[in-house]
Parts: sequence; structure tokens; C-alpha cells
Amino acid sequence: MIELPSALVLTSILGSLLAGFTCSTMGVFVVRMNLASIGYCMSHAAFAGAAFGLMISIDPMIGALAFAFLTALILGPLSEKARLQSNVVIGFLFSLMIALAFIFLNFIPGQAASAKALRILWGSILSVSYNDLLLLAFLSFVLIVFVIVFYEELLSVMFHRKLAEASGVNTKLFYFLVLFFTGIAVSLSLRIVGGLLVFALIINPTSTTYQFFYDFKKIMIFSPVIGVISCLVGFYLSLFTDFPIGASIVIVSALFFAFAIAVSPKRRKTEKSL
Amino acid sequence: MNKKTIELQNIETIYEGEKIPAIHDINLTVEPREFISIIGPNGAGKTTLLETINGILEYTKGRGFVFGKEIKKNKLELRKEIGYVIQNFELDPLAPFLCKDIVMSGRTGKIGVFRFATKKDWDKVWFSMGLVGMIDFANRPVGKLSGGEFQKILLARALAQQPRLLLLDEPFSNLDYASRLQIETLLNRLHEKYNLTIVMVSHDLSFVPSRCNRIVVLDKGKIIMDDEKSRILKSDIINDIFKNNGGKK
Repeated sequence: MIELPSALVLTSILGSLLAGFTCSTMGVFVVRMNLASIGYCMSHAAFAGAAFGLMISIDPMIGALAFAFLTALILGPLSEKARLQSNVVIGFLFSLMIALAFIFLNFIPGQAASAKALRILWGSILSVSYNDLLLLAFLSFVLIVFVIVFYEELLSVMFHRKLAEASGVNTKLFYFLVLFFTGIAVSLSLRIVGGLLVFALIINPTSTTYQFFYDFKKIMIFSPVIGVISCLVGFYLSLFTDFPIGASIVIVSALFFAFAIAVSPKRRKTEKSL
Repeated sequence: MNKKTIELQNIETIYEGEKIPAIHDINLTVEPREFISIIGPNGAGKTTLLETINGILEYTKGRGFVFGKEIKKNKLELRKEIGYVIQNFELDPLAPFLCKDIVMSGRTGKIGVFRFATKKDWDKVWFSMGLVGMIDFANRPVGKLSGGEFQKILLARALAQQPRLLLLDEPFSNLDYASRLQIETLLNRLHEKYNLTIVMVSHDLSFVPSRCNRIVVLDKGKIIMDDEKSRILKSDIINDIFKNNGGKK
């Protein structure tokens, strides 16, 4: 097991906890609205942005946020008009972002910066700074307020967008808010989970929760709980095994999902009310 | 002054990126408390017409009014007064929604932003679920309902909104005979008891509710007939239109 100073352990635990919370909260909307392909592209755009940030010697988080926002701005209206199939979007943008990321990584000056770049790729507990924690904590607070205040609107949009629009909900606004919050959650969690794997933290905990409940409120509560548990268990797995933290978190969340599929009461023929 | 519920003047709606209008030269007036059926074959523009009335689709020509207010300028406000029952759609059986929450979601626009549902809102939900006979299904997952039950929940959702105008898109589609009869009885009862203005779209002439006394026939995006139900059903043109699509039974 890796020995770490207790302050660093605390920062890392808090970082994992907050990354798990924010990503899996947004996961509820991403999964339900079938935005997986868009979110997937956004996570890779954030990764390319972080590499770009390192290349021009600014905070990679700024680059990640800028690229994630840009992707949301391009992909949001594109998918709105349904002119592009989701697999076309993935094929085009995913490869473009990875290509850009590799080009940017190639031009990062200095050895130390290259190590930083690798941490963004795989995720690292050593990368979590006090500022990251503050930003993640602030985002968590904003998301809690967002979900509580707009719960009725969100539920309505999640059920059926056109019906929500027909009853007077500004569905476009909520659609774009979901995209932007997803972009921010991905960008802020990038250093912990890593650019290649952060999206799993959005999809896996929510997909796990979906196997157990029919009540949207329960999904909204338990998805972040599973996300937080996945991150904490993944964090300790990483400490004990020396695996990269991102990979550990994803393995744990994937195991939770596999277990949920196996025991899901929703998939049994004779079910009890949930 | 008795305002018309719907007044459409030379309306044309073109989908974004398209050149040919989905509906054109639409002139339609609906009086308060009328129950009308808009019929036509698939692709005639029926759903487009409904969604132009509630402002989901923006008309490209002409002028449209609902309750005397121009649709384009007041669509968000108007939608709160218009109940819309969308064509029965396939829902994931594992979808995480309970029936009571879906019915409550009909009131979202009316409740408004930065406000929470109150006991009064929930009373409206229970009342409308009671009206459609689905009160016992309140805590059931919506994905587990049969086609007819789901249609009733969608109807309860629209009614929970306490609309002045009810737009129904193919309310009998994908339903078995018994469910169709139930929905038909329900619509007649709602119209009789609550004086709602109802505009219903259908491609099937075999289910026109008895309280519906006016039929508008739409073909290729244009209104070709607008008359009393009895006269329309006797018309030969109907046979020609429905020859390859639906059919008079």
C-alpha cells in the first residue's frame, strides 16, 4: 500500500467524493436524455482542452472547461435539430478530440509537463489541489440547488421533452443547462478520474441505480450515493494496488453495474413494488 | 365579446430545412366548447396542425389566435391553458417514473419556476386521476401500463393542467377495441361534464366520439372539407381519401 501524508489523503478522499457526486448526479440526466454520445465527446474534448492548456502553459482546467463548453455549444444545437446520428457524432468528434489531444500532448514543453499530461490521461490522486476541491464543492452545491428548485421541470423534461414543452416548460433552457453542467462536472473531475475514463463515472452509477428503482426521486438520490461509493472504494483500491485511480474507480463502478444487472428486481419477471 | 377558442387565418407551417409546407392555406375557427375531429390519412399534416395550434411548431405564414391571443407572441402563456395528449408512444418498460409524477408533470408549466407543488396541485392530480379511473395506479411505474392505461395517464396529465382547450393526437391509436371504447366514453363524459373545447386528430373514421359533431378533413396539408359529422361521413370524397389508408368502417 502506498503511504501518503494524511492531508493529501484527506484532499484525495474529498476530491473523489465530490467528483463521484457531481458526475453521477449529471449522469441521471445524461442517461435518461440519451445524451451519452454527447457526454462522451465532451469528456474527450475536456481532455483535449486540458492538453491544450498544458501546451500553452495555462491551468489545464481552464483549457478543459473551454473545450467542453465549446463542444456543448456545437453539439447541443446540432443534436437538437437531429441532423446527425449519434454514432456519426461519436465517430467524428471523438476521433477529432483524441487526435487534437495527442497533437497538443506532443508539443507540451518539458518533462514535468509531460508527467502532468499523463496524469490527465489516467487520473491521479496527487493532482487534486485545494482549488479543485473548492470548485467541485461549489459545483456540488449548485447542482443540489438546481435539482431541488427545478425538480418538477427536470422530471417533466426527462419523461418526454415535447410534452414538457407543450405544458409550458422552457425545455431548451434545461437541455442546455444539463449539457453545460455535464461539461463542468467532466472538466473538474478530469484530474482525478482521467480524461479517458471520466465518462464512465457519469454513466455507470446511474445505470446501476436504474436497475433498482422506478421512482425518479430515488434515482436522483441513489445515483450520487453509488457514484460516491464507487469513487471511495476505487480510491482505496488504487492505494492498495497502485492502480491508476481513474481505472480503479471505473472498475469498481463497472462491477457495481454488473452486480446490479444480475440482481436487478426490475429485470425479474415477478417483481415486487419498488 | 365571445372570443373564438381557435382562429387560424391562412396558416402555413414549414419544417426547418424543408421547402414544401406540411400544412398550408389553413383557415379554421373553433368556438368555445366545441368538440371537433380532424381526420385525414397518414402524412396529411394533422399532428403539424395540432402542434401549430399550441405553438410547438411556428407557422411561417398567416396569423393564428388561441383564446384571442396571437400564438407566436404568447405561446408559453397559452400552452399553460392547452392540454396536449401526444400520440401513444413506446415507453421503456424500465422507465423510472411513477404515474402520479407523470400526471403532476402536466402542472409544471402552471406551477411556474421557483415554485414547488403544493397540496392544491396534488389535489388536482388526484382529481384528474380519479376522472380517468386511474387513482389506484398512482404509485405504479408508468412503463408497466398497458396501451389503454398509459393513454388514460396521458389524458389525466393533460387534465391536471386544468386546460380550457384539449388537443388529442390519435387518442385511439395502438389500442385494442375495449380500450378504445373506454377512451371514447371518457372523452364524451369530459366534454359533457366540464365543457372543454376538444380538438381531436385521427386517421381512423371508425372511432369518432358521439359528442363530436364537426369533422374537418385534412389531405396533403390542406383542409378539404369542414362540416357536420353526419354529412362528412356520407361523403364520397372520404372513400377516395381513405382508399389506401385507414378506411371508413
